Amino acid sequence: MRRHGPGPDAPRPRRTVVPALLVFWLVIPLTPLLMWATATRWSGVARLPQDFGLHGWQEALDAGVIAALVRSGLLGVAVALIATPLGVMAGRALGWRLLHRSALPSLVLLGPVVLAPFAVAMGLDVVILRLGVPGEIAVVLVLSVFALPYTTFTMRATYLGLDPALEEQARVLGATPGRARRRVTLPAASTGLVTATGLAFLVGWSDYVVTLLIGGGQIVTAPMLIGASAAGSGNDALTSTLAISVSLPPMLALGAFTYAVARRRRAAHS
Amino acid sequence: MTHVQSTSPETRDGRRATEALGGARLVAPAVLLVLVVTGTALGAVVATSLGLLPLVGQPRLSVDGFTVVAGDLRAATQESLLIAATATLFAAVIGLAIATVVLRAGRGRRIVIVLTVVVLTVPHLVGAAATGLLLSDVGLLQRWTGIPATSWPELVGGRWPWATVLELAWKESSFVALVVIASAGRHYADLREVAAVLGAAPRAQWRRVLLPLSAPALASASLIVFVYSLGTYEVARLLGRAYPDPLPVMAYRLFTDIDVAARPQAAATAVVATGLALLSAVICLPLARRLGADR
Repeated sequence: MRRHGPGPDAPRPRRTVVPALLVFWLVIPLTPLLMWATATRWSGVARLPQDFGLHGWQEALDAGVIAALVRSGLLGVAVALIATPLGVMAGRALGWRLLHRSALPSLVLLGPVVLAPFAVAMGLDVVILRLGVPGEIAVVLVLSVFALPYTTFTMRATYLGLDPALEEQARVLGATPGRARRRVTLPAASTGLVTATGLAFLVGWSDYVVTLLIGGGQIVTAPMLIGASAAGSGNDALTSTLAISVSLPPMLALGAFTYAVARRRRAAHS
Repeated sequence: MTHVQSTSPETRDGRRATEALGGARLVAPAVLLVLVVTGTALGAVVATSLGLLPLVGQPRLSVDGFTVVAGDLRAATQESLLIAATATLFAAVIGLAIATVVLRAGRGRRIVIVLTVVVLTVPHLVGAAATGLLLSDVGLLQRWTGIPATSWPELVGGRWPWATVLELAWKESSFVALVVIASAGRHYADLREVAAVLGAAPRAQWRRVLLPLSAPALASASLIVFVYSLGTYEVARLLGRAYPDPLPVMAYRLFTDIDVAARPQAAATAVVATGLALLSAVICLPLARRLGADR
């Protein structure tokens, strides 16, 4: 490594400018949503809305946003219920190196990252039409496949950081294998478990193209409403309120989770 | 990592065999689900593209699905590659900048990391709707800059896919940043201290410590962003121009065409998109692995 003499560590403007530019980059695309969601009139080239109000929210309620959000939530829960347990099992095998050859299963489980959801949905749509499988089941299955890489590799990383000896000790002390897993390992893996569940939920919650292709417009989730509004209506206040309604719940859940983890860490340290 | 200690080789081998059997049982359900769903779906897409799974009529092996729209396929492939390559480049550079600010623990670190996580949770569809409201000729930037709508550049739906690229780069820069932070963060603090003690200037610390440490994560995250951008539908659908449309938009357009004869063409488009993504993975994975092995 080349050595440099210790120079004067004067504050340089770049240290403030770069973070400020990054904050601008991250915030600016969301700004019009927040402004339109509180505007009732914003015509022409006016820099700010002429009238503020919650008109857009009333329209979103009329468009059935509550039912659509519930449907999105159910889809997220269904995907998490399939992809999380399967991911926990696979993550345990990969993280604790319980397989002779783990390269092939790892490759298969990473595979969905490379595949385009629209291509998989399109292919499955052809098959379910012939087999008469309900669209809802196909949507959940496809999205679970796309959630599996997230749950598996989150849990693999979690198990890598856990000592298998802990579970063995519980068994030596008389716990059954199932009880040792449930009472010892899973609580120790809880942060990873919540992260994996959250990621799987988000795959179902925010999906658009799989529901659109397989559901054929019959399964009206919240992203369907946003897509319809953004593509054709020209009603920017409605689009913005719908977009905020979809984005806010995961953010609040993430905030609550981060707060809970920080509190637990503080409690553990004190 | 093994938790079997001070046992005889025979017992150890027996334990390993039992473990491997248990391990196989643990991965089997996930592997089976992925293989059955993606195998069935991709098999059906390939069969449809070759005329073997027509919606109506008799199956007949033919490559018409590919040849009839060959010109459009070429244009769509170019558009998709252009979008994916540019978005990946922007996402990688900006993602690395975000990771640098966060890992160096300098000014503004906390707000940058909070915003990065917030952006990651926002769905692409929301990002696309928001980008449209920001960059269109009656969008927020046009209103704020005061440039007349007639002189405003065609960022949304114009000749060059600016809005699509910027939305993908925006969302994915947060993904790249978080992957790099998670992977390099642990070692960087220690190594940076050593580098500082040895007299390395901040710039040298970045080039000689942070960059090599981040390289494997940066490479794999960039590959994921590239294949994601190749396969994403909603962003280009909302922000792109009508022609040439990228592969996913073209596939959906043909798939929903009133003429069911367009189905093989839609499937052919999906086959090309899947082939491109797989090819990029095959080309880039060894590179990512080599960067990781060098560490």
